Amino acid sequence: MNRQQSITAARGLTDAQDRLLTADEPLAELHEACGGTLPGTLAIPELLALVRRSRGMGLRIAKEFSAFDGEEIVSGFARIQPIDDDELGGCEVIVENWHRAVQSETSSHDDAQRIDEVDRATAEVRARLDARQQVQIVTDCAGDATSFKDAVEANPGSAWSDHVELQGISHQQPLHWRLLDGASASIPGSSRNWRVRLIPLGPNRAAPRGFELLLLANEPLGVDGAGTEPAEIEGAHSRIIGSALTPVLRQPIARIIANAETIRTRLAGPLRDEYSEYAGNIAAAGQHLSGMLDDLADLEVVEAPGFSTASERVDLADVARRATGILGVRARDRKIDFAIECGDEPVIAMGEFRRVLQILINLIGNAIAYSPEGSTVTVTAQKAGEGLVSASVRDEGPGVDAEQAEKIFDKFERLGRDSDGGNDTGSGLGLYISRKLALAMGGDLEVVQPSQDEVSAGAQFKLTLAAADTSKS
Amino acid sequence: MGCRMGEMGMDRTETTFVEAILKDELEREDRALRSVAPVISHMLDTGGGSLVSDAAVARLRGMLSDIARQLLEAVTSSAASDEEIDRIVDELSNDSALIDHLYALAMEGHLADRLETQFGIDPVLSPLMQELIASNHPDTAELAMSAMAAQSRFNLCQRRMELPLGELPSELFAAVIERFCNAAQDCEPAQLDRAMGQLKANYDEAATRLGLLARVTSNMRGGAIAGLNLEHAGLALFASSLAALTMQSRDHAICACHDRQSARLTISLRAAGLDAEEIETQFGLLDQSQSPPDGIASMPPEVAKELLKASRGGLA
Repeated sequence: MNRQQSITAARGLTDAQDRLLTADEPLAELHEACGGTLPGTLAIPELLALVRRSRGMGLRIAKEFSAFDGEEIVSGFARIQPIDDDELGGCEVIVENWHRAVQSETSSHDDAQRIDEVDRATAEVRARLDARQQVQIVTDCAGDATSFKDAVEANPGSAWSDHVELQGISHQQPLHWRLLDGASASIPGSSRNWRVRLIPLGPNRAAPRGFELLLLANEPLGVDGAGTEPAEIEGAHSRIIGSALTPVLRQPIARIIANAETIRTRLAGPLRDEYSEYAGNIAAAGQHLSGMLDDLADLEVVEAPGFSTASERVDLADVARRATGILGVRARDRKIDFAIECGDEPVIAMGEFRRVLQILINLIGNAIAYSPEGSTVTVTAQKAGEGLVSASVRDEGPGVDAEQAEKIFDKFERLGRDSDGGNDTGSGLGLYISRKLALAMGGDLEVVQPSQDEVSAGAQFKLTLAAADTSKS
Repeated sequence: MGCRMGEMGMDRTETTFVEAILKDELEREDRALRSVAPVISHMLDTGGGSLVSDAAVARLRGMLSDIARQLLEAVTSSAASDEEIDRIVDELSNDSALIDHLYALAMEGHLADRLETQFGIDPVLSPLMQELIASNHPDTAELAMSAMAAQSRFNLCQRRMELPLGELPSELFAAVIERFCNAAQDCEPAQLDRAMGQLKANYDEAATRLGLLARVTSNMRGGAIAGLNLEHAGLALFASSLAALTMQSRDHAICACHDRQSARLTISLRAAGLDAEEIETQFGLLDQSQSPPDGIASMPPEVAKELLKASRGGLA
């Protein structure tokens, strides 16, 4: 993972509202890891402060910055230059010396303190306890928890745990505070779920002088006191791969690939051919795994019940050009040419730009993988009847027969088509996902069967979408 | 009655005027008197190696006048008079952040001189700088070359007690421009705006000596620890590396090198990850009157970092 080959690691452009408009990959990744969208307000806090300062002072500045991307501390040297342009009014950001380091452990203490602060600020019930966890005073109380306050005030000198129901804790109360800190509880009279925080007071954590008791509600107090979005909760779709697995696995897999590549290319020293080949296999397997992970995350998204796509005007020829641009390197490796055919009039579809691009990249990627070397992949954008437009991708490979065409869009279907690259990393999900996306946009994706007289025309896939109202253009 | 009122009124105006001048003067004198005691007691207390030495004060004053002169001459493009310069120096010296920075620069110049005469440590072309310039990575070599050139200019300027305006860190540069604009009310506004706009447009923090040193250090990444060997790296890279590795300001890092700041130096070096022996070596070069405490090796670098973070450092 040697990203530091050049001193300049990434460039980005912001506008007068400090929104990041464009950015090179590492910067865009970090921006997104910090919760930003592209384009969107720059989400890397220290960098945002620097950009604001540079823009405010109208000065070219250069400072070190660091950020936490969820896994590692990322640091770099930022050079920021305000752009003297009334229209844009933003800054150019150049990051030098991108550097990643594992976060040091000492910050866990800071983190704990920060969590305590957040909990203090959001607690809806607050109380002071003595060393035996008996309530001394309830200082603050939410509307639906007054019964807790009443019960405490009616029974002075009782333990706080007598007045709530702790979930999953059946021992004699009160337990050691460490066992109760973080427990779930319900409060009589409140329909909400609560979380308990016990923060010890006094200099000695082992023998606290007393406690700060915080009860935090897991849901906001709705108008009727119940959860306001039951439908959301019922339909909560599992996003374990996209939200939990992918971020954790991406880094180690990338490292496996990078290291295997290093060995394969003998960067670390001379090596016997067999071992170099083994390393090549490891890298290929890693790439397969990585692609699979991306596909599985996409699969989760498209299969989620509420999945929908945006509806915007999309120029199909433009999308085709971008997709071929992105896949240009892969195509050149196999000496494959692209031909983009479109008429003089622009072919505008209604759909989500990003998704259409994703579909075309999938189709063209497949076409490259299944085409013989030196052949041509043709992308055609055209009107396809009343109110419809289409983009087709045709290769000169072995083609798809009728039987295969029936199954080709099934989940995990790979059909055993021999890809000529010998390094097929498909998960068998690409076409399934593409078709799902096409359907979600109100269109379709299908295999076009060559008519009988055409001999071995290769495979042709056609994406059909609703045409945009051209009268407005 | 009316006549008396008139007389009173005239009297009053005159008094207010005199009063205002004297009040200002008195305040200034009060400030001066207040600062005498701490300075004197500090000098007496700490002996010859005081933090505030005559030499440092002279350099500081020289740099302030130089900055004032550059600002004035940017507007009028003719030589500025001493009175004008003094007036701007007065205004600028109210900025304690600027004073702290210039003080750190003066100390850096002073320390670099001493390291050169005592130990032959070249203030410009240290062995580490030579290695970086000879790097087979063209970007690194070019960067190091620019840093070396900037360092050599700094060295020359320090001898002349000067500081080019464009060498200030961005926040101080902006503050100085702002203070100057407020003080230079008698200049023609359009001319002032144009001159300041020009200064701002020419400013590039990445090309300042401190910016270049920080970039060189940042480019060494984990290797910045190589910068923590004074003999090998020279004071300039040493200070920048120490600052980067301990997340202190570079001015703090320079001040830590003063022989009355040995606790800060010990903790900083430890926070940067040096072991007891290496810390002892750096101490020897910096003529620290005390040696580092024996148990320093047992203090984990993380704890040292926490300590540094907790100390706000005397500088603003």
